[in-house]
Amino acid sequence: MIFWEIAKRNIKIHMLRSSLAMLGIVIGVVAIASMGILGNSLVLTVSDSLRTVGDSVIVTPHVGGMGGFGGGQGASSLSITEQNFQQIKRVSAPNIAIPVLQNADRMKLGVGGDDIVAPIYGLNPDDVPNLLTLKEGGYSRGDSGCLVGSTFANDNNVKVGSRIAIGTDGNKGTLRVTGIIEERGMAFDVSTDYAIVVTKNWFDQAYNRNDYDKVIVKVKNLDDLPIVKTAIENQMNKRDKIVDVVDTRKTMETLFQAFGQITAFVSAIGGISMLVAGVSILNIMMMSVTERIKEIGIMRSIGAQRKEVMSMFLYEALILGVVGSVIGGAMSLLGGYVISSVLIQTTKYLFVPSSLIYIVYGMSFGIVISLICGIYPAWRAAQLNPIDALRHE
Amino acid sequence: MNEQPVMVFKDVVKVYPLPSGDVTALGGVSFQVDRGEFISVMGPSGSGKSTLLNLMGCLDTPTSGDIYISGTRTVDMSDKELTEVRRDRIGFIFQYFNLFPLLNIIENVTFPMMLKSKKEVDPEKGRAALRSVQLDDSLFTHTPTEISGGQQQRVAIARALINDPDILLLDEPTGNLDSKTGAGIMELMSELNRKGTTIIMVTHDPNIAKYSRRTIHIADGMIVE
Repeated sequence: MIFWEIAKRNIKIHMLRSSLAMLGIVIGVVAIASMGILGNSLVLTVSDSLRTVGDSVIVTPHVGGMGGFGGGQGASSLSITEQNFQQIKRVSAPNIAIPVLQNADRMKLGVGGDDIVAPIYGLNPDDVPNLLTLKEGGYSRGDSGCLVGSTFANDNNVKVGSRIAIGTDGNKGTLRVTGIIEERGMAFDVSTDYAIVVTKNWFDQAYNRNDYDKVIVKVKNLDDLPIVKTAIENQMNKRDKIVDVVDTRKTMETLFQAFGQITAFVSAIGGISMLVAGVSILNIMMMSVTERIKEIGIMRSIGAQRKEVMSMFLYEALILGVVGSVIGGAMSLLGGYVISSVLIQTTKYLFVPSSLIYIVYGMSFGIVISLICGIYPAWRAAQLNPIDALRHE
Repeated sequence: MNEQPVMVFKDVVKVYPLPSGDVTALGGVSFQVDRGEFISVMGPSGSGKSTLLNLMGCLDTPTSGDIYISGTRTVDMSDKELTEVRRDRIGFIFQYFNLFPLLNIIENVTFPMMLKSKKEVDPEKGRAALRSVQLDDSLFTHTPTEISGGQQQRVAIARALINDPDILLLDEPTGNLDSKTGAGIMELMSELNRKGTTIIMVTHDPNIAKYSRRTIHIADGMIVE
């Protein structure tokens, strides 16, 4: 169509100012998309490290409760008794309830090795396969074996078969490493990457315990998570609040919602530069209309309808927006690559759909802003009186 | 001859309301233009020539009275309808040629065709129109700024004729040309008129008005013939 052609040629003959207007759009798209990509990459980085199961209900003694867990039964320590674990297990059935003991202690690796301090988890051997996956070795059968986290193994050069002396000068005993746990990241249930996992029996004897620090309920059907959570709360907190019950999926959702809001906020800041670019488009389009008043008058006098005149200017805004957005989109990939490399030291989250969508958002916003900012000048051009426009010099 | 007039003005009044008081540009003008006529409209500055031209060209509407173009009453038409009348029934030729600098000669000539058909048009019709106004083929792909004033006016004439209008409206068509080129343009207009084109020409130049076969004199917004 001839009006499309005229719009293209008008942009070409005013290449410098058109380029400057497009540059504004390019900057806007890059700002929005790069910020979005960065935010999303951060979310993905965190979610990878928080690769905890979203299928658990975590029960811990109520913090801040009067007299600690087991109130009314004379218990004063913040822990879960065997009796209460059995209640939790009963109301959670048929889902699996896993009692967990945890502590931290000194330990020595090999003869002449340095003393280190690391978390120790105590689990029933039967529960371990339900909770942890091994990347090497096998699960401990006897009380003399233990599992170690992958970071712990790497940092301390621990292999399957290595021995670890627990306690000051090994006074709690020596354990043989039977397996290395696959990396789990920072988790809500147990964070084993830099920890060792022993049997409950060994833990009870070593630390004189007969209770638990938390109970993890693995829920088979995710839709049952809130039901299980409520059932445990109703059972355990009937009289006093003695346990805190956390639905990990809900917690993760809340966390990611917060991350999403941060990403949106950061992108919105990028959006301000797009609004500035839009004002630049508006300015250039107004200049274009003013310069071409006589041309508009001629067009109208020889039979161009208002909407055709309007379309000519909208095409011009559209071309500026599309070209600027496409260039901006391409540069956003580059910008995203650089920002991700510098700030989060990885670019593996750049080419995932949830990151690339921000380029689409940025480009769409660029095109829409250009069109919106082209509407008023185009409308003004279309409303010009042909007689006045023809007289214009 | 029983043919319908191309243009009829009946008691046309045009008043411009101004803050300092109403100004009557035309005070009840009536005339008729038959098909094939070549009419000059002459008058001094401020006599109402431009107002009359704007009304004849459907660029403006009268305060009162009736205007008919090929039998169609135009005074109550919407902007869209008036634009269609300008596009389909009237060919404009301006003093300053008014070609589009962004388009080449062929595109300038076929522009009104594209407005009418809403799609790409066969440039051959544009070439034929340009040849009919004796423009050399070698100029067809040039832009308006690359050709002379006389050549630009020939392009403007070809553009005005491209949609086979009922009437050609000329506004000082030689006002921006030297006398020799102007004479050439007027010869061309006479030739077109001999072939049946109806022409109304607004001019203040009696030498140019001599090319027409009838002259309407206007003074103080009235026809004084």
